[in-house]
Amino acid sequence: MSVAEETAELGNPGLAGNEQFDTLIYGSPPLAYPAALSQYVIYNTPDPAYVTGRINVSAFANLGSATPWPFTNTNVPLNGHVSIPRGRGPFPLAVFAHGNHSPFENSTPGYLYLCQLLASHGIIAATIDVNFLNGFNFGENAGRAIVHLEHLKQFRTWNNTAAHPLHGKVDLNRILIVGHSRGGEAVGHASFFNRLAAIGPVVLDGSAGLGPYRFGLTAAAAIAPTDRQFTPATGPTVVPDSYYIIHGSQDADVFTFEGYHTYERAHAVDLTNPTVSDGKFKAMLWVHKANHNQFNSIWASESAPGAAMPRPSQEQIARVHLGALAQVVLLDRREYFAVLRDHAVATAWDPVGTEIVSQYQNPERIFVQHNQEGLAAPVVSLPVQGSVAVDGLVAVRQLTALVGGAATTTITLRLAWNATGTRLLLLVDPATLPAERYKVMALRVGQSNEATNTANRDQDFTLEVSSGSRTSAFPASSLHRLLFPDPPPFGPAKIVMQTLRLPVARLVECRVDPSDLRSIALVFDRRQTGVIYIGDLQFTN
Amino acid sequence: MQLPEPPKIAAVEVVAAQPTETDRAAIAHRGVKEPPEAVHVVKVRLKAKPPVMSMAWALYVDDELVPQYWEYTDGIYFTVLDPQFFTKHKGKQLRFSQNGTDFFDTGVTLTAPATSAAAAKLPLQSDVLKRRRPGRRTK
Repeated sequence: MSVAEETAELGNPGLAGNEQFDTLIYGSPPLAYPAALSQYVIYNTPDPAYVTGRINVSAFANLGSATPWPFTNTNVPLNGHVSIPRGRGPFPLAVFAHGNHSPFENSTPGYLYLCQLLASHGIIAATIDVNFLNGFNFGENAGRAIVHLEHLKQFRTWNNTAAHPLHGKVDLNRILIVGHSRGGEAVGHASFFNRLAAIGPVVLDGSAGLGPYRFGLTAAAAIAPTDRQFTPATGPTVVPDSYYIIHGSQDADVFTFEGYHTYERAHAVDLTNPTVSDGKFKAMLWVHKANHNQFNSIWASESAPGAAMPRPSQEQIARVHLGALAQVVLLDRREYFAVLRDHAVATAWDPVGTEIVSQYQNPERIFVQHNQEGLAAPVVSLPVQGSVAVDGLVAVRQLTALVGGAATTTITLRLAWNATGTRLLLLVDPATLPAERYKVMALRVGQSNEATNTANRDQDFTLEVSSGSRTSAFPASSLHRLLFPDPPPFGPAKIVMQTLRLPVARLVECRVDPSDLRSIALVFDRRQTGVIYIGDLQFTN
Repeated sequence: MQLPEPPKIAAVEVVAAQPTETDRAAIAHRGVKEPPEAVHVVKVRLKAKPPVMSMAWALYVDDELVPQYWEYTDGIYFTVLDPQFFTKHKGKQLRFSQNGTDFFDTGVTLTAPATSAAAAKLPLQSDVLKRRRPGRRTK
């Protein structure tokens, strides 16, 4: 099915649905907020049925003492706004958390525009108050994760309380957690903590107030997240649930695309069991001209005038793509996977002219070349047998941080050419590559801003796939644009690879037999020169 | 736009204080047989606080990351539970980094704590943070 056909069959997930809903405040009164924190007084008058308790996060975080909070870290409130569809339910649950910002401005309502969208589609959607961890602090993101999980616990309590308006209305097996900025890092930790019985000395069985959790998280979504500001004792957090990330090229706060590292660690290939998958997907959306703050409707833009897209456009993109994610993971509308697999499906719904790079990794896959074996010359990855031939180009595996910032743990293959007709050829033993079991041949490719790539011009090459004596060629540009990197507000440009997906059905149409694949070649015949980074050549679904 | 600049440190002060319940639990979790009667609050007074952002300036003492720090009126502070931290790092440079790769020396070093008062006379950490006494500057 073509992209146009797929789009025609789907409704725009960024538009309001038909469900009626109510938006109300929940909170932990009474709290004597001083005048400087007057924006939080709204939480002193929650809906009477939605009065919450306090929690002790002192094992994870202090409160910045420069802000006059009327509580300590041993009794922080569970405040939030929630949009609840009318009707009997049960409804899935989505909970948003903001990130770091001036604690004197309440960041919580900044995601109401998304909560209300989701509620109109039959999802209970909340946005939570974590402002008390905001300020010039560091290392508190475990605390943000605990607060997020404790809010989920509050919804579970209401769902299980016979007299409560939410009794039986929350589908606890369909929960999406979404975080922005440091809150985006924290949803990764929350996904990890959700499965733990204890964190260090803190037992999560409820005996000391925190936990138990073990919620049915269907996905964790991070908007412009940080990474590794908190690191568990076991090492950097590897998100165990399905993971989604969205980040803007004009982000002048988290300007090194930190979440790329989180994305890379999640659901990575296990070299000892390369065909084994944990059954979870991950997807990435890199939005040219989006910035950091405009994903929160409260936060003032951090960009220089004209550098970023208008706020309504950025919010529209958030609605469309997070809306599509919610359709998939909360409403079981699997047809919206099309948007996650290929952002072009959403082109008609995104602001006109928006340039986006996306990646998608399906849990069902067999890698032909993932490059994670080491920095030696490129090989065909086990269990597929084969060899690699490099003809006229320089092919070097690199442990390069494509997106700047912290060191990466993911190896990519850098291909540089200075003449047309050069190629990277992978010869494979068809007996070891059951391509016919999969729907798509995929790889991810990104061009750098090095001098041999023409500025602001899409890069291109040809994919040649052969079985026996039959070879078919497909321009990469027929699968997707390979955008030139958007110049960032500062620092080096990010090289963000685009997932290219070539349907196996197209190979069959071209009489290439997927059960007898002999070779896959990247032929550089469409640009005289260039540098690209590639990875994760695979057959997948 | 310009890359964010690291915070500039005006002074560092190390003050002994009473451990909180959370501190005691963390110390016990480490299997320390004789828990110290005091913990130390390291107050890092800044010349100016950078704007609040999500990207963070991680603080290092020499090569060791300070895993958590918190804002107070004049800057940031962190709490040291293990007195060996000072044995190991006394006189070492405080440094900031945003990525763990590129470091910015502050020109300020960690001072050793003054001899602790008797445990019963130690201040609460919250009281330590309220004091607005300029700290010693050491190079």
